[in-house]
Amino acid sequence: MATFTCRDFQDHFESSEDGPRSASPRSLRVQAHLRDCPSCRNFVEDLGTIRAAATQLAVSDPEPPERIWSSLRAQLQQEGIIHEAPAKQSWFHEFFGFGLPRPVLAGGYLAVLLAIAFGLSGPINSRINRQRWLDGTQSSLTPLSAQLTSAEQASLLSLPASESPVAASLHKNLEIVDNYISLCENSVREEPENELAREYLYEAYQEKADLLAQLNER
Amino acid sequence: MPEAEAIRLAQAGNAAAFERLYRLHNRRVYSLCLRMVGNTAEAEDLTQEAFLQLFRKIATFRGESAFSTWLHRLAVNVVLMRLRKKSATESSLDEMTEPDEESGGPRRDFGTPDLRLSGSIDRVNLQRAVDQLPPGYKAVFVLHDVQGYEHNEIAEIMDCSIGNSKSQLHKARMRLRELLHEELRDKAREDRRAAGNAGGED
Repeated sequence: MATFTCRDFQDHFESSEDGPRSASPRSLRVQAHLRDCPSCRNFVEDLGTIRAAATQLAVSDPEPPERIWSSLRAQLQQEGIIHEAPAKQSWFHEFFGFGLPRPVLAGGYLAVLLAIAFGLSGPINSRINRQRWLDGTQSSLTPLSAQLTSAEQASLLSLPASESPVAASLHKNLEIVDNYISLCENSVREEPENELAREYLYEAYQEKADLLAQLNER
Repeated sequence: MPEAEAIRLAQAGNAAAFERLYRLHNRRVYSLCLRMVGNTAEAEDLTQEAFLQLFRKIATFRGESAFSTWLHRLAVNVVLMRLRKKSATESSLDEMTEPDEESGGPRRDFGTPDLRLSGSIDRVNLQRAVDQLPPGYKAVFVLHDVQGYEHNEIAEIMDCSIGNSKSQLHKARMRLRELLHEELRDKAREDRRAAGNAGGED
């Protein structure tokens, strides 16, 4: 029987990939060689060490940075491969825009802008002194809210019955702003020192004042 | 969104579907590129290039092979092309290995009983050794030993036979062993020199 050499061992190892495991006669010679040859034992052990270290490489892989996707998306858009969905609308548009046809909305927004531009004449002084209000929110909260409520009642009473889409949208918007004011007032009550909450409430009051001025204009 | 649905929608140009496919596979592709080139900036560039090629061709995907296999095939090709450009040589997978001067195969080294890798190598010096492998060896080693692909999948990714994949992997491991042994010998020499210097100073 020919001598089983280290080269024979390696050839067998290469073809079996994971090393000598079968119980064939050749494999028995492989096992016998492995038992008697320190070099080949060292060889098998080293390859096992390399395989174990390789699995550790995968574990340590970092996350790909987000900029890859941003750049890829821009390239795909530029090439016309992807069709982007319409951008999400701002909270203001969501608040004032749902369910209404575009011409009605345009009319509503235009009316608001005109009301502001003409100085908000009539019984409502909608231009609130911002700094004075922000400086003393707690003391101003109730009187201002009450002032706006009474102005609202007066405006609604003086408003002739109208079924026009613009009037309907203004009423709807008024309802939405009232809900928003209510949320903001709760936030300010809970956190009177929170400047951001006060700022949001101020903006909400301002929106309502503008809407009421617009109702008066009509 | 399941992968099959994402593929179908991406073929119709749906942006969310493209993103879904990217998120499903970006980590493995980036990892493959990083292990192949050993450089994060280049790995980012190659990842983007691989996905770009994939998305440009997505309308032609008919599902003959697994989507991930198709993607990895593109990624490996992108990386090998880059490495070829770097070395400025046109070479096939076999030519990108490192033939032994005598036999045309890799050098055979059965090692010495006194030098063992066990307990001496970590991720850092293994990656350093992987960086020195010829591209063909490196690709098979990364796909099989790091990423866990089977030889039949690697054969499909690399467009070679299963036997070729096994042979390349074995040669890659042999070359790595050689490189790691060299590193250990260099370190032992440096340690001896440092010990000699310290003894001389006493």
